[in-house]
Amino acid sequence: MDAIATLSSHDNSVVAESNKKRPPAISVNRLAMRYKTSDGDLVALENINFEIGKGEFISVVGPSGCGKSTLLTIIAGLVRATSGIVTVHGNRVTEPISDLGFVFQKDLLLEWRSVLGNILLQADVRGLPREEAKRKALLLLKQVGLEGFENRNPWELSGGMRQRVAICRALLPSAGILLMDEPFGALDALTRDRINLDLQNIWSTERPTALLITHSISEAVFLSDRVLVMSSRPGRIIDDVRIDLPRPRNASTRDTAEFVAFQHRLRMSIGQ
Amino acid sequence: MEHNWIMWIIRRVTSQDIVLPTLLLIVLIACWQALSTSGILPVYLVPPPSVVAAKAWETKGLLWFHALVTSYEVLVGFLLSVFGGVLLGATVISSKIVQKTVYPWLVVVQVIPKVAVGPLIVIWLGFGFWPKILIAFLLGFFPIMISTMHGLASVEKEKIYLLQTMGGRRLSTFRYLLLQSSLPDICSSFKVAITLVTIGAIVGEFIGSDNGLGYVLISANGSLDAPLLFVALLWITAISLIFYAIVTAIEKILIPWHVSVRSPTTT
Repeated sequence: MDAIATLSSHDNSVVAESNKKRPPAISVNRLAMRYKTSDGDLVALENINFEIGKGEFISVVGPSGCGKSTLLTIIAGLVRATSGIVTVHGNRVTEPISDLGFVFQKDLLLEWRSVLGNILLQADVRGLPREEAKRKALLLLKQVGLEGFENRNPWELSGGMRQRVAICRALLPSAGILLMDEPFGALDALTRDRINLDLQNIWSTERPTALLITHSISEAVFLSDRVLVMSSRPGRIIDDVRIDLPRPRNASTRDTAEFVAFQHRLRMSIGQ
Repeated sequence: MEHNWIMWIIRRVTSQDIVLPTLLLIVLIACWQALSTSGILPVYLVPPPSVVAAKAWETKGLLWFHALVTSYEVLVGFLLSVFGGVLLGATVISSKIVQKTVYPWLVVVQVIPKVAVGPLIVIWLGFGFWPKILIAFLLGFFPIMISTMHGLASVEKEKIYLLQTMGGRRLSTFRYLLLQSSLPDICSSFKVAITLVTIGAIVGEFIGSDNGLGYVLISANGSLDAPLLFVALLWITAISLIFYAIVTAIEKILIPWHVSVRSPTTT
């Protein structure tokens, strides 16, 4: 076990070193977002700067309404920032990027498509070959424990199952970037821990660059290589914590002293 | 298998949904017949059901022809209303400029009483098939257009984002998301539109025609033939019901996934 732990942390350091030479997968520079409202300007984000290396898993935690979700839609090119620059794979983002899997807060399953049909929506819109996509979709469903559910209708599934289908949909195109906006917020704690494990396993096979917005410190520590802490409005990055827990992490990882220490450290940061 | 099918029909026909309204109908007809034969209702104003039935039997061939003419007008008028309504709704909502320019005038067209423009339409288009279609269309397209606009406008913003993250542009977003999402609204407007289109076709026949059930009504009125008026009304009611049933069936085929249609399931 220790040998595996050393080996995997060694792997991480190799990744970290190679990141220094290559351009980061996502880079955010002096980003700001202001909205005009009836009571004057609302500053949602202010001077946001960070970089994410290729294949890194980053979480952003912070209080409600600090603009975390807005940050994600800006990176995806869905919303235009007031000022600042976002680049993905070295290209400036000016329109919706498509090398992307996006998991939203709501599962957004289309009621007229079956479970499989919802995942294959990716293939249909992107024009990917359907047979190959179908094979991959079935594999993903198996990985999240939904084998045999492919022909069910969305309204026959529980909230946790629906969100797992949404994750499969985001992962189908094997995109380089995976953005997740509090995808597990509405789930109970047990389901949440279970899906966190599934997500970690799938992520580690394909290693997309992942950015997760979450309210749960425990979830952030469990999944991430780094956790960014945001302040309440206007949203700023106030801390950047590297989580060097060995991978793969499992249920008992949550009970280790290091895990608890990371949680404590982040809670202190958020509390300032 | 065939046996099951017959059992299904028997169960359906003997269910309360069928038996209770039928009983009410029989009671009402019996009362009506009693009132007429006892002389309380004047026969020349309200002919007894027996006379109406005899008249219906006697004129069945002729009225079948007129009913076909009206049905054809309703069908074409409805199809045009669907295409026109969906197309106009989608166009109007696709751009703010178009919406601002065109929409007020579409409302104006809607509030003009179609019966009042009827004579003008007859002057323009003559006594043939097209004036009825035009009146039917003018009545039918509006609810479909409004529902299309409502359906397209109420698609969640996040779902549009979702399609954009897949590289979806306007056309694929329309095809995979907007069209399907707005179908429940569009389908419910079909039920309103089909009755309006039927009214439009009949009104068109009132104004200028030599065939169709509207024409039968007008000519029976001219000769004070009350039994024939009743018979024509029965035919109109029958084709309206049939069209309504067809539209309901179309809804079930188009949106089997919608809450209003799907069979209840346990989760």
